Amino acid sequence: MKKNSKLTSKDEKELISKLINGDQSAFEFIVNEYHNLMLSVSRAIVGEAFADEVVQDAWISAIKALPKFEGRSKLKTWLLHIVSNGAKSRVRRENRSVSLDQGWESVSADKFDNTGHRFDDVLTWDETTPEDLLANDQLQAVIETSFQQLPSLQRAALTMYDMEGIKMDEVCNILDISASNARVLLHRARTTLHQCIEKFQDAE
Amino acid sequence: MSECKDIAEEASNYIEGNLPLSKRLGLFFHLVWCKCCRNYLQQIRSTISTISVIRPRENDNTDTDDLAKKLRALSQQDSSD
Repeated sequence: MKKNSKLTSKDEKELISKLINGDQSAFEFIVNEYHNLMLSVSRAIVGEAFADEVVQDAWISAIKALPKFEGRSKLKTWLLHIVSNGAKSRVRRENRSVSLDQGWESVSADKFDNTGHRFDDVLTWDETTPEDLLANDQLQAVIETSFQQLPSLQRAALTMYDMEGIKMDEVCNILDISASNARVLLHRARTTLHQCIEKFQDAE
Repeated sequence: MSECKDIAEEASNYIEGNLPLSKRLGLFFHLVWCKCCRNYLQQIRSTISTISVIRPRENDNTDTDDLAKKLRALSQQDSSD
């Protein structure tokens, strides 16, 4: 089974058929492939306290509904909609609003003069390709830690859009947020991780 | 006239092409003469590529093998009902 999220529809049909036939390796595959992503969406919508429970319920619903899965969407998107619906039901009674962290700055205000121009030069990074950056184990650990400290909505938006290649309108549907909010979340997440790489580069 | 601060705030939207033409042109002309902002934009692009390669994950202590076994057992139980 391919070890990445880009399964073709043929791969998916094969995977679903194996799941329906009770193939243990197929179950291990989908859990390893999608559980963390489902947890990210669940945490973003319902918060840390109920996230695990919502994902567990989503898995049960998905497994029961699997024989009826018609393949009109990708398996990944289908699973994310199940977890998203479960999480939304869970919070329906609460007055949840998307927190966009008022006062957040993409770059600290003290980096600009009163005309909005930068005081300092921005230099090119020594390690410019992802492969160069990844060759540095310490930096990789710094990025992972910084990612885990992002607010859950930012993590979910970043994971779905930048890592999983899910389209923006799907991301908005799954997280139940507007496109402008999703873009703000995405930019904030990217900027925070950029700052963590920048700090690391400056310290090197 | 766009400023460095505008580039910092709109970098993602500029990269994704999510801006009205007038705003996009304003940022484009700023980028033509401001090397700092060109470097900044390049750094944001590198950050996006790096994230998509490194794929950081949620903190999670789930025993995935055990979960897979339980889900398989559930599916078998459902199919025999």
